Amino acid sequence: MSTDCQKTTAKAIPSTRRVTVNDAEHMPHDYCTTPGGTLFSTTPGGTRIIYDRKFLLERRSSPVAKTPPRGLPNIPGVTSPTTKDPIKKELLNNNVASPESSHTGDDAQFEMDI
Amino acid sequence: MNNKFDALKDDDSGDHDQDPGSPKDGEKEKSEDEDKEQNARRKMAVPGAGEHPLQFNYSLWYSRRTPGRPASTQSYEQNIRQIGTFASVEQFWRFYSHMIRPGDLTGHSDFHLFKDGIKPMWEDDANKMGGKWIIRLRKGLASRCWENLILAILGEQFMVGEEICGAVVSVRFQEDILSIWNKTASDQATTARIRDTLRRVLNLPPNTIMEYKTHTDSIKYRRTLGPHTENLSEGVRICNESGGNDESGEGYLCVDWHCV
Repeated sequence: MSTDCQKTTAKAIPSTRRVTVNDAEHMPHDYCTTPGGTLFSTTPGGTRIIYDRKFLLERRSSPVAKTPPRGLPNIPGVTSPTTKDPIKKELLNNNVASPESSHTGDDAQFEMDI
Repeated sequence: MNNKFDALKDDDSGDHDQDPGSPKDGEKEKSEDEDKEQNARRKMAVPGAGEHPLQFNYSLWYSRRTPGRPASTQSYEQNIRQIGTFASVEQFWRFYSHMIRPGDLTGHSDFHLFKDGIKPMWEDDANKMGGKWIIRLRKGLASRCWENLILAILGEQFMVGEEICGAVVSVRFQEDILSIWNKTASDQATTARIRDTLRRVLNLPPNTIMEYKTHTDSIKYRRTLGPHTENLSEGVRICNESGGNDESGEGYLCVDWHCV
């Protein structure tokens, strides 16, 4: 019989992060998510803020997300239109993605024919 | 490490007229503490009230190579531009929604998404022992795949601790390339998990060929071709361009457009 049993040292639970919920929209969309992302507090790798694709895509329509960022460098053809191409201009002005990525997340993942 | 990127930002600042993020401080002395200073100086991105914080802060970068010009280290550094840094889901969308999709880029261009503090270069401390998974896409898939890839990274879907460094989408003539970089190339459990997560989040067909390449190999390969022959973030490209003499061999030829 081994008498010197190994003791696991107790560790404090990682500190709490408070998430303010000001709006019903900030509430998680299902019961397995906590506000501010899913917290896997004691899983290997420690606390992680995890978001699924659907949730991230939903946040795209939030007012903040639609405001142009401050200090966006002007790179023609990348952050601003190169030409007076009306389609591209519209794309940038509306903050709307190209048709293929303007989905809201409820469409199925596409099948890729590689 | 020095602050090449900072210098670069200053050089370029003529273009971004309303960029408060690139202060003119060319008088700064070159010192060992530069990185530290730079970090302190740089405004830390923080999540705003009511925003959803990300596990890590990230930066988006853009680079472009003029065709025909040799892609030296120098020109790689000169051609890469930091678009912005963000700390929350909402801040990410602010940048992303004001940028063109990779599929609409023209020419030899790349978007890079890297954790804040990691430069999209092999030589960065976080990258030098690392490597990348490479997926070659036929034309038309880049925008969607890139979005799914970066959403998976931002949402911490890979579950490999601190291992993910960033991702790159490279728009090329006949195909586009996605790559995801991690810190430790020798950590097979991690690289296997990244591969499996990639398959899932990109919904890749089971027969998709995925290639893992260590950055040390990329650097070595560049050296055998002579210094500065290729784009730092994009190891194999130059080989194909200079006559298809790609070390990745037949794997390369089987992918995408050949199988459609």
